[in-house]
Amino acid sequence: MLDSSLNELDYHALNAMLNLYDADGNIRFDADRMAARQYFLQHVNQNTVFFHSLDEKLGYLVAEEYYEEAVLDQYTKNFMREIWDAAYTRKFRFPTFLGAFKYYTSYTLKTRDGQRYLERYEDRVVMTALALARGDEALAMSFMEEILEGRFQPATPTFLNAGKQSRGELISCFLLRLEDNMESIGRGINSALQLSKRGGGVALLLTNIREHGAPIKGIENQSSGVIPVMKLLEDSFSYANQLGARQGAGAVYLNAHHPDIMRFLDTKRENADEKIRIKTLSLGVVIPDITFELAKKNADMYLFSPHDVEKIYGVPFSEIPVTEKYAEMVDDKRIRKSKVNAREFFQTIAEIQFESGYPYVMFEDTVNRMNPIDGRINMSNLCSEILQVNEASEFNDDLSYSHLGTDISCNLGSLNIARTMDGKDLGRTVGAAIRALTAVSEMSAINSVPSVRRGNDESHAIGQGQMNLHGFLAREHIHYGSPEGVEFTSVYFAAVAYHAIRTSCDLAQERKATFKGFEASGYASGTFFDKYTDRDWLPESERVQALCDGISLPTRDDWAALKADVMKHGLFNRNLQAVPPTGSISYINNSTSSIHPIVSKIEIRKEGKIGRVYYPAAFMNNENLEYYRDAYEIGPEALIDTYAAATEHVDQGLSLTLFFPAEATTRDINRAQIYAWKKGIKTIYYVRLRQEALEGTEVQGCVSCTL
Amino acid sequence: MKDMTATRIPRAINWNRLEDDKDLEVWNRLTVNFWLPEKVPLSNDIQSWATLTGHEKQLTIRVFTGLTLLDTIQNTVGAPALMPDAITPHEEAVLTNIAFMEAVHARSYSSIFSTLCSTREIDEAFRWSEENPHLQAKAKAVLDTYVPGNDPLKRKIASVFLESFLFYSGFYLPMYWSSRAKLTNTADLIRLIIRDEAVHGYYIGYKFQRGYEKLSEAEQAELKDYAFGLMFELYGIENQYTEELYDEIGLTEDVKVFLHYNANKALQNLGFEALFPPEVSEVNPAILAALSPDSENHDFFSGSGSSYVIGKAVATEDEDWDF
Repeated sequence: MLDSSLNELDYHALNAMLNLYDADGNIRFDADRMAARQYFLQHVNQNTVFFHSLDEKLGYLVAEEYYEEAVLDQYTKNFMREIWDAAYTRKFRFPTFLGAFKYYTSYTLKTRDGQRYLERYEDRVVMTALALARGDEALAMSFMEEILEGRFQPATPTFLNAGKQSRGELISCFLLRLEDNMESIGRGINSALQLSKRGGGVALLLTNIREHGAPIKGIENQSSGVIPVMKLLEDSFSYANQLGARQGAGAVYLNAHHPDIMRFLDTKRENADEKIRIKTLSLGVVIPDITFELAKKNADMYLFSPHDVEKIYGVPFSEIPVTEKYAEMVDDKRIRKSKVNAREFFQTIAEIQFESGYPYVMFEDTVNRMNPIDGRINMSNLCSEILQVNEASEFNDDLSYSHLGTDISCNLGSLNIARTMDGKDLGRTVGAAIRALTAVSEMSAINSVPSVRRGNDESHAIGQGQMNLHGFLAREHIHYGSPEGVEFTSVYFAAVAYHAIRTSCDLAQERKATFKGFEASGYASGTFFDKYTDRDWLPESERVQALCDGISLPTRDDWAALKADVMKHGLFNRNLQAVPPTGSISYINNSTSSIHPIVSKIEIRKEGKIGRVYYPAAFMNNENLEYYRDAYEIGPEALIDTYAAATEHVDQGLSLTLFFPAEATTRDINRAQIYAWKKGIKTIYYVRLRQEALEGTEVQGCVSCTL
Repeated sequence: MKDMTATRIPRAINWNRLEDDKDLEVWNRLTVNFWLPEKVPLSNDIQSWATLTGHEKQLTIRVFTGLTLLDTIQNTVGAPALMPDAITPHEEAVLTNIAFMEAVHARSYSSIFSTLCSTREIDEAFRWSEENPHLQAKAKAVLDTYVPGNDPLKRKIASVFLESFLFYSGFYLPMYWSSRAKLTNTADLIRLIIRDEAVHGYYIGYKFQRGYEKLSEAEQAELKDYAFGLMFELYGIENQYTEELYDEIGLTEDVKVFLHYNANKALQNLGFEALFPPEVSEVNPAILAALSPDSENHDFFSGSGSSYVIGKAVATEDEDWDF
């Protein structure tokens, strides 16, 4: 019945039917499957360039300079036939319309006029595997398998660009320090342009820049503070985009105790003046523990001039642990300061989050307490999951470096938890992922930003993420945020951490090298491993034991052996895990995003390139809907509990979004932030709101309207 | 009814003495929904705008000029004309908010124009809006009911038709573009307008129903006749307007179905039964689904979304800081 009535509809209309219940109140999953099919019939198949054989295809793509010849030259013709055969025999199909649509609009290789497709999904996977394996056949085969089976998914820049002749960088994400001088600010803007052009998201640290009204060359009231720098950055990001493929995107972080903090937040106000309004730049606030203590006492919080702090301590403000030095700085009359009420500060943050979703929050002391690496973490990135140490650069009069510091880059890729569990071999999957990510680090050299190149060369920092937690739990009939759900999260992340460290230790032995600064890390001293050798991280409830049936999990003895190996051989990667929000890649991978609960049974996805498209949660059908309570129904506490269980085992951060109904108040948001901080969460990403339609004005029969 | 004699004592509005809870509910909704066009990064649509053909651009500008005219009427004449008929002082306050937001809407279209089009194109479109007979006819049909001395309930009928029906031949186009991944930020802005207009139509319809209940059966029958008569008249004009705009791009049939759907919604706001049977009101799912701003998961880096609101600020208490 459906077939006959739906055949005449185009795939967009079929896909949109997902968001409208049928006459019996069921969600029309069949319409979406039909949309995916029609998309291939009506559009993809007709617009794909046909080749008679693999040889002809590769010959053409290399001759026309679509594929990078050097990538293919590392392999024999025989092996290439073998890996392509192996890929195609797996009969990959996109289960959702959005997966297929997203892949063909944003990832696949197209002719230069953008009109015809040159790759199918299998081709992209094989090219990624070949590029990252750098001539190692067995490794290439294992990358192909892990990606095509959906267990491992490289992040967008890697999956989009690998193996292509003209391409952007393979790395997603950059973090740059700015210092309190014009050379550094100018260099920062230049770097932001260069990195945006190459397709990265860039975050910049503003904490060290002197405040509005601070003296310049001893003359009072000269500095205009951080806002004009933000304006310059915002314009730079909108100017630079990766061949039009992706809008440049940037974030700025500021310490809560910087004197410009309230002005910084007000740039996102609904009624902000056009001169100071910040539209597309993302904001993040770095909050130390002391701010919470002051708010608890309902005291004022002092804000310190970074210019004076640097003069007195001899290091930039961002190097100062504010909690530790707070009393000392308050008493030091050489530091000029102002104050705001601490509770009002938190309330203002919540108000701005209501209006704009910003700022992100980084809990500075939690982050540094849990950091096994020597040095100080003072900022995060555009998705608030990268947490690494950095080092300031200094400049000569001719703008060259007098001291080349280190800045941060991070390449990401995520495991699909459901597929990884189905694969039963965590060691294999995590191992392949760590090796693929390390390859990206080794293959990258950002020459336009020397501080980033140096940081990457010395650290080989990578970020392995996770996605599809909610999809997996729901498929197994476990509620997200339930005790079993939280227990599973803890067990899974502990096991993943074990295999990630194990692989990095193997790499250190193979490469005969460790990351710079290993000797001063908690890995080298062994203290990092205490919590794994003092207790077990194994399933306790029957339910979670059953989930892990047939999967070998690391015991205390395994951890002790790993500790000995690491202390002896070191680690190749300074940072290993970071859990990103996974937008696009979770659609093509048929996952729920990150380790978040779903935002809606049927998600409305909107972005520049694809318009408005509808996406059903992974593994959902009309029978198991009860396990798909969305983030607004689940509430912030269950979400934070789940994240806290994972945070324990992730060396960097996790993008944690909080969800509230529009009827919530700023107090509800503040309470959730306090709870998150108390539970040891490292960062908070967006605050999202959902306003339900006023009764009587809603679109009838709409699935995402939740009434 | 409110006392309209000249000797009326000026009274301060007391929001703690509500005569109709609906006033506060709608006031709250409208105020948290406050927005300005500057919040939407329209300039992100410049690339997408360049991919439209000359005719598609002209159509889009004209559609928006038509919408500007309707918002202008509602801002300067419609909402103020409803004010003397207000039953409660709070209703007057809500109407001033409605009037102001209509001005914001009218202003928004100009933001779209100044971001995407040249002055010549804009001037041409405004001239077109002054000369187009169908657009002028629908403006006149509504304005006629707003004249002082006319039946207050008839004014409300016309106002609901404008808010819940007449806008939609225009709203169709940006929803259509956004379902094709074009002008998505413009569509965000339009969705904010739709979010407002939905509440306006609903509220004015609600007030209409309160007045209508008090009438005798004969008066009710006469008023209902009037409503359906006006709907037929406007529907006739809308049909011609739609054909003229959308024939060349081949969307006329789809837009007409959308008109039916919204005509039914407008009548429903007044408490009347649907006019068009379901078979001819089945809107293209891509458009219908595009209307709902709720729980949209947008990519923050290319747009601002239409689900953020101004929140209710409540101070934290000591117990919240218990750690």
